[in-house]
Amino acid sequence: METQDFEKKLSEMTKPEMPQLKHENMLANAIINARDKSVVSWWWLSVPVFIILMLMMKSTFMPVTTLISNMHELESSQKYMSLIFFLISPVVLIIINVASIRKIYLLSGSPKSFHFLGSAWFNILIISVSILILIIYSL
Amino acid sequence: MDETDLLNRIRHHPENFSEVFSLYYQQIFGYIIRRTGSFDDTADIAADTFLKAFRNINNFRYTGISVKVWLYRIATNEVNLYFRHKQKHNSVFERMDIEDNTIFKNYIADDRIEIESELRRHEQFLSVQKELKTLPVKYQEVIALRYFEGKENKEIVEILNINEGTLKSLLSRGLEKLRQKCNQF
Repeated sequence: METQDFEKKLSEMTKPEMPQLKHENMLANAIINARDKSVVSWWWLSVPVFIILMLMMKSTFMPVTTLISNMHELESSQKYMSLIFFLISPVVLIIINVASIRKIYLLSGSPKSFHFLGSAWFNILIISVSILILIIYSL
Repeated sequence: MDETDLLNRIRHHPENFSEVFSLYYQQIFGYIIRRTGSFDDTADIAADTFLKAFRNINNFRYTGISVKVWLYRIATNEVNLYFRHKQKHNSVFERMDIEDNTIFKNYIADDRIEIESELRRHEQFLSVQKELKTLPVKYQEVIALRYFEGKENKEIVEILNINEGTLKSLLSRGLEKLRQKCNQF
Protein backbone atom coordinates (compact mmCIF):
# COMPACT_ATOMS: atom_id res chain seq x y z
CA MET A 1 0.00 0.00 0.00
CA GLU A 2 1.44 3.39 -0.97
CA THR A 3 1.88 5.99 1.77
CA GLN A 4 -0.52 8.38 0.01
CA ASP A 5 -3.27 5.73 -0.13
CA PHE A 6 -2.65 4.92 3.50
CA GLU A 7 -2.84 8.61 4.40
CA LYS A 8 -6.16 8.86 2.54
CA LYS A 9 -7.50 5.83 4.41
CA LEU A 10 -6.51 7.34 7.74
CA SER A 11 -8.26 10.61 6.88
CA GLU A 12 -11.40 8.93 5.62
CA MET A 13 -11.88 6.19 8.25
CA THR A 14 -14.60 6.87 10.81
CA LYS A 15 -13.49 7.85 14.29
CA PRO A 16 -15.35 7.48 17.58
CA GLU A 17 -17.17 10.67 18.55
CA MET A 18 -17.86 11.74 22.11
CA PRO A 19 -21.42 12.12 23.38
CA GLN A 20 -22.34 14.76 25.96
CA LEU A 21 -20.67 13.40 29.10
CA LYS A 22 -22.90 13.04 32.15
CA HIS A 23 -20.08 13.42 34.69
CA GLU A 24 -18.83 16.70 33.19
CA ASN A 25 -20.65 19.20 35.44
CA MET A 26 -19.92 17.35 38.70
CA LEU A 27 -16.25 17.08 37.76
CA ALA A 28 -16.11 20.79 36.92
CA ASN A 29 -17.50 21.64 40.37
CA ALA A 30 -15.08 19.25 42.09
CA ILE A 31 -12.09 20.79 40.29
CA ILE A 32 -13.17 24.36 41.04
CA ASN A 33 -13.57 23.46 44.74
CA ALA A 34 -10.42 21.29 44.91
CA ARG A 35 -7.85 22.22 47.50
CA ASP A 36 -4.17 21.58 46.87
CA LYS A 37 -3.20 18.65 49.09
CA SER A 38 0.56 19.04 49.10
CA VAL A 39 2.66 16.39 50.80
CA VAL A 40 5.14 19.08 51.89
CA SER A 41 3.80 20.92 54.90
CA TRP A 42 4.70 24.60 55.00
CA TRP A 43 5.14 24.19 58.75
CA TRP A 44 8.44 22.42 58.12
CA LEU A 45 9.75 25.50 56.36
CA SER A 46 9.08 27.57 59.46
CA VAL A 47 11.83 25.70 61.40
CA PRO A 48 14.86 26.90 59.31
CA VAL A 49 13.21 30.32 58.90
CA PHE A 50 12.86 30.56 62.70
CA ILE A 51 16.55 29.65 63.19
CA ILE A 52 17.70 32.24 60.63
CA LEU A 53 15.48 34.96 62.13
CA MET A 54 16.75 34.10 65.60
CA LEU A 55 20.37 34.44 64.45
CA MET A 56 19.60 37.69 62.64
CA MET A 57 17.96 39.14 65.75
CA LYS A 58 20.88 38.01 67.89
CA SER A 59 23.36 39.70 65.56
CA THR A 60 21.22 42.88 65.55
CA PHE A 61 20.71 43.19 69.29
CA MET A 62 24.11 41.91 70.47
CA PRO A 63 26.60 44.48 69.18
CA VAL A 64 29.73 42.31 69.34
CA THR A 65 28.28 39.54 67.13
CA THR A 66 27.53 39.26 63.41
CA LEU A 67 25.27 36.89 61.49
CA ILE A 68 28.30 34.97 60.20
CA SER A 69 29.85 34.63 63.66
CA ASN A 70 26.52 33.47 65.10
CA MET A 71 26.12 30.90 62.36
CA HIS A 72 29.62 29.55 63.02
CA GLU A 73 28.96 29.55 66.76
CA LEU A 74 25.90 27.40 66.18
CA GLU A 75 27.99 25.19 63.89
CA SER A 76 30.54 24.52 66.63
CA SER A 77 27.87 23.66 69.21
CA GLN A 78 25.36 21.89 66.91
CA LYS A 79 27.40 20.52 63.99
CA TYR A 80 24.74 18.28 62.41
CA MET A 81 21.86 20.67 63.05
CA SER A 82 23.73 23.52 61.39
CA LEU A 83 24.50 21.28 58.41
CA ILE A 84 20.77 20.58 58.06
CA PHE A 85 19.74 24.23 58.46
CA PHE A 86 22.45 25.98 56.47
CA LEU A 87 23.43 23.46 53.83
CA ILE A 88 20.95 20.63 53.25
CA SER A 89 17.73 22.68 53.68
CA PRO A 90 18.77 25.49 51.28
CA VAL A 91 19.95 22.98 48.65
CA VAL A 92 16.69 20.99 48.92
CA LEU A 93 14.63 24.19 48.77
CA ILE A 94 16.54 25.35 45.66
CA ILE A 95 15.89 22.00 43.91
CA ILE A 96 12.18 21.95 44.87
CA ASN A 97 11.64 25.55 43.75
CA VAL A 98 13.55 25.20 40.46
CA ALA A 99 11.38 22.14 39.69
CA SER A 100 8.30 24.13 40.69
CA ILE A 101 9.23 27.06 38.37
CA ARG A 102 9.80 24.60 35.51
CA LYS A 103 6.37 23.07 36.17
CA ILE A 104 4.74 26.53 36.20
CA TYR A 105 6.56 27.33 32.92
CA LEU A 106 5.40 24.14 31.20
CA LEU A 107 1.82 24.39 32.46
CA SER A 108 1.68 28.04 31.41
CA GLY A 109 2.17 26.78 27.85
CA SER A 110 5.93 27.51 27.65
CA PRO A 111 5.52 31.30 27.23
CA LYS A 112 8.25 33.09 25.28
CA SER A 113 8.26 36.14 27.58
CA PHE A 114 9.56 36.30 31.14
CA HIS A 115 6.35 37.88 32.46
CA PHE A 116 5.25 34.51 33.77
CA LEU A 117 8.05 34.75 36.38
CA GLY A 118 5.71 37.16 38.19
CA SER A 119 3.61 34.09 38.95
CA ALA A 120 6.64 32.35 40.41
CA TRP A 121 7.82 35.25 42.59
CA PHE A 122 7.55 33.23 45.80
CA ASN A 123 9.69 30.42 44.36
CA ILE A 124 12.27 32.98 43.18
CA LEU A 125 12.30 34.58 46.65
CA ILE A 126 12.90 31.20 48.34
CA ILE A 127 15.73 30.40 45.88
CA SER A 128 17.36 33.80 46.48
CA VAL A 129 17.18 33.45 50.28
CA SER A 130 18.54 29.88 50.06
CA ILE A 131 21.47 31.03 47.91
CA LEU A 132 22.16 33.87 50.37
CA ILE A 133 22.21 31.40 53.29
CA LEU A 134 24.59 29.11 51.39
CA ILE A 135 26.92 32.04 50.63
CA ILE A 136 26.91 33.28 54.24
CA TYR A 137 27.49 29.74 55.54
CA SER A 138 30.42 29.19 53.19
CA LEU A 139 32.18 32.42 54.28
CA MET B 1 -16.12 34.63 22.31
CA ASP B 2 -13.44 36.96 23.66
CA GLU B 3 -10.94 34.82 25.58
CA THR B 4 -9.40 37.80 27.38
CA ASP B 5 -12.81 38.55 28.83
CA LEU B 6 -13.26 34.92 29.92
CA LEU B 7 -9.78 34.84 31.51
CA ASN B 8 -10.49 38.08 33.39
CA ARG B 9 -13.78 36.71 34.66
CA ILE B 10 -12.05 33.51 35.83
CA ARG B 11 -9.35 35.58 37.59
CA HIS B 12 -11.98 37.47 39.58
CA HIS B 13 -14.43 34.59 40.00
CA PRO B 14 -12.75 31.14 39.65
CA GLU B 15 -16.17 29.45 39.38
CA ASN B 16 -16.33 30.84 35.80
CA PHE B 17 -13.83 28.11 34.91
CA SER B 18 -16.92 25.94 34.37
CA GLU B 19 -17.28 27.80 31.02
CA VAL B 20 -13.90 26.38 29.91
CA PHE B 21 -15.25 22.97 30.89
CA SER B 22 -18.44 23.41 28.86
CA LEU B 23 -16.48 24.58 25.83
CA TYR B 24 -13.64 22.08 25.74
CA TYR B 25 -14.08 19.08 28.10
CA GLN B 26 -15.89 16.88 25.59
CA GLN B 27 -13.34 17.70 22.87
CA ILE B 28 -10.29 17.06 25.09
CA PHE B 29 -11.86 13.87 26.49
CA GLY B 30 -12.38 12.67 22.91
CA TYR B 31 -8.76 13.46 21.99
CA ILE B 32 -7.44 11.52 25.00
CA ILE B 33 -9.63 8.46 24.44
CA ARG B 34 -8.72 8.39 20.74
CA ARG B 35 -5.10 8.18 21.87
CA THR B 36 -5.36 5.79 24.84
CA GLY B 37 -8.45 3.71 24.02
CA SER B 38 -9.13 3.21 27.75
CA PHE B 39 -12.13 4.92 29.36
CA ASP B 40 -10.81 4.80 32.94
CA ASP B 41 -7.37 6.16 32.06
CA THR B 42 -8.97 8.82 29.86
CA ALA B 43 -11.25 9.96 32.69
CA ASP B 44 -8.23 10.33 35.00
CA ILE B 45 -6.02 12.05 32.41
CA ALA B 46 -8.81 14.45 31.36
CA ALA B 47 -9.55 15.35 35.00
CA ASP B 48 -5.84 15.91 35.66
CA THR B 49 -5.57 18.06 32.53
CA PHE B 50 -8.39 20.35 33.65
CA LEU B 51 -7.16 20.43 37.26
CA LYS B 52 -3.74 21.60 36.05
CA ALA B 53 -5.37 24.10 33.71
CA PHE B 54 -7.51 25.48 36.56
CA ARG B 55 -4.51 25.88 38.84
CA ASN B 56 -2.44 27.60 36.16
CA ILE B 57 -4.99 29.61 34.21
CA ASN B 58 -3.78 32.88 35.70
CA ASN B 59 -0.25 32.27 34.32
CA PHE B 60 -1.60 31.42 30.90
CA ARG B 61 -2.23 34.99 29.68
CA TYR B 62 1.37 35.52 28.50
CA THR B 63 1.53 32.61 26.08
CA GLY B 64 -0.14 34.15 23.02
CA ILE B 65 -1.96 30.88 22.25
CA SER B 66 -5.66 30.07 22.59
CA VAL B 67 -7.14 28.28 25.62
CA LYS B 68 -8.04 25.36 23.34
CA VAL B 69 -4.45 24.96 22.08
CA TRP B 70 -3.18 25.26 25.65
CA LEU B 71 -5.56 22.51 26.86
CA TYR B 72 -4.47 20.27 23.97
CA ARG B 73 -0.87 20.96 24.98
CA ILE B 74 -1.44 19.96 28.62
CA ALA B 75 -3.48 16.90 27.56
CA THR B 76 -0.73 15.84 25.10
CA ASN B 77 1.91 16.08 27.84
CA GLU B 78 -0.28 14.04 30.20
CA VAL B 79 -0.95 11.35 27.57
CA ASN B 80 2.74 11.18 26.66
CA LEU B 81 3.63 10.71 30.34
CA TYR B 82 1.04 7.93 30.51
CA PHE B 83 2.63 6.15 27.53
CA ARG B 84 6.22 6.74 28.65
CA HIS B 85 5.65 5.36 32.13
CA LYS B 86 3.49 2.54 30.75
CA GLN B 87 1.47 2.43 33.94
CA LYS B 88 -2.00 3.27 35.07
CA HIS B 89 -2.49 6.98 35.62
CA ASN B 90 -2.79 7.93 39.30
CA SER B 91 -6.43 8.66 39.88
CA VAL B 92 -7.05 12.36 40.35
CA PHE B 93 -10.54 11.54 41.65
CA GLU B 94 -8.99 10.23 44.89
CA ARG B 95 -7.47 13.67 45.48
CA MET B 96 -10.74 15.54 45.05
CA ASP B 97 -13.85 15.88 47.14
CA ILE B 98 -16.75 14.98 44.88
CA GLU B 99 -19.97 16.32 46.34
CA ASP B 100 -22.08 13.20 45.82
CA ASN B 101 -19.75 10.33 45.07
CA THR B 102 -22.49 7.76 44.38
CA ILE B 103 -24.19 9.89 41.74
CA PHE B 104 -20.79 10.72 40.22
CA LYS B 105 -19.86 7.02 40.02
CA ASN B 106 -23.20 6.28 38.37
CA TYR B 107 -22.61 9.03 35.80
CA ILE B 108 -19.12 7.67 35.12
CA ALA B 109 -20.56 4.15 34.69
CA ASP B 110 -23.19 5.45 32.22
CA ASP B 111 -20.54 7.37 30.26
CA ARG B 112 -18.29 4.29 30.20
CA ILE B 113 -21.05 2.11 28.70
CA GLU B 114 -21.88 4.68 26.02
CA ILE B 115 -18.27 5.44 25.06
CA GLU B 116 -17.11 1.82 25.02
CA SER B 117 -20.03 0.98 22.76
CA GLU B 118 -19.07 3.91 20.49
CA LEU B 119 -15.46 2.65 20.38
CA ARG B 120 -16.60 -0.85 19.36
CA ARG B 121 -18.42 0.59 16.36
CA HIS B 122 -15.10 1.71 14.83
CA GLU B 123 -13.11 -1.49 14.35
CA GLN B 124 -10.77 -0.09 11.71
CA PHE B 125 -9.94 2.87 13.96
CA LEU B 126 -9.21 0.52 16.88
CA SER B 127 -6.80 -1.54 14.74
CA VAL B 128 -4.91 1.59 13.67
CA GLN B 129 -4.90 2.91 17.24
CA LYS B 130 -3.52 -0.41 18.52
CA GLU B 131 -0.59 -0.21 16.08
CA LEU B 132 -0.07 3.52 16.65
CA LYS B 133 0.35 2.89 20.39
CA THR B 134 3.41 0.73 19.63
CA LEU B 135 5.23 3.67 17.99
CA PRO B 136 7.31 6.22 19.96
CA VAL B 137 5.15 9.04 21.41
CA LYS B 138 6.73 11.66 19.11
CA TYR B 139 5.05 9.89 16.16
CA GLN B 140 1.87 9.06 18.07
CA GLU B 141 1.16 12.68 18.94
CA VAL B 142 1.57 14.10 15.42
CA ILE B 143 -0.40 11.30 13.73
CA ALA B 144 -3.21 11.44 16.31
CA LEU B 145 -3.53 15.22 16.02
CA ARG B 146 -3.39 15.17 12.21
CA TYR B 147 -5.54 12.14 11.34
CA PHE B 148 -7.66 11.42 14.46
CA GLU B 149 -8.37 15.03 15.39
CA GLY B 150 -8.18 16.46 11.85
CA LYS B 151 -5.97 19.37 12.93
CA GLU B 152 -4.18 21.55 10.39
CA ASN B 153 -0.37 21.79 10.52
CA LYS B 154 -0.56 25.36 11.87
CA GLU B 155 -2.54 24.24 14.92
CA ILE B 156 -0.37 21.13 15.51
CA VAL B 157 2.85 23.17 15.59
CA GLU B 158 1.21 25.45 18.17
CA ILE B 159 0.04 22.54 20.32
CA LEU B 160 3.38 20.74 20.23
CA ASN B 161 5.51 23.91 20.22
CA ILE B 162 7.63 22.65 17.31
CA ASN B 163 8.41 24.14 13.89
CA GLU B 164 6.66 23.11 10.68
CA GLY B 165 9.73 21.38 9.21
CA THR B 166 10.00 19.13 12.26
CA LEU B 167 6.27 18.37 12.07
CA LYS B 168 6.45 17.39 8.38
CA SER B 169 9.44 15.16 9.02
CA LEU B 170 7.78 13.46 12.04
CA LEU B 171 4.55 12.97 10.08
CA SER B 172 6.33 11.49 7.09
CA ARG B 173 8.46 9.07 9.12
CA GLY B 174 5.60 8.22 11.51
CA LEU B 175 3.18 7.48 8.66
CA GLU B 176 5.67 5.18 6.99
CA LYS B 177 6.25 3.26 10.23
CA LEU B 178 2.50 3.01 10.88
CA ARG B 179 1.82 1.92 7.29
CA GLN B 180 4.31 -0.93 7.64
CA LYS B 181 2.59 -2.05 10.84
CA CYS B 182 -0.90 -1.78 9.33
CA ASN B 183 -0.14 -3.35 5.93
CA GLN B 184 -2.63 -6.13 6.59
CA PHE B 185 -5.60 -3.91 5.74
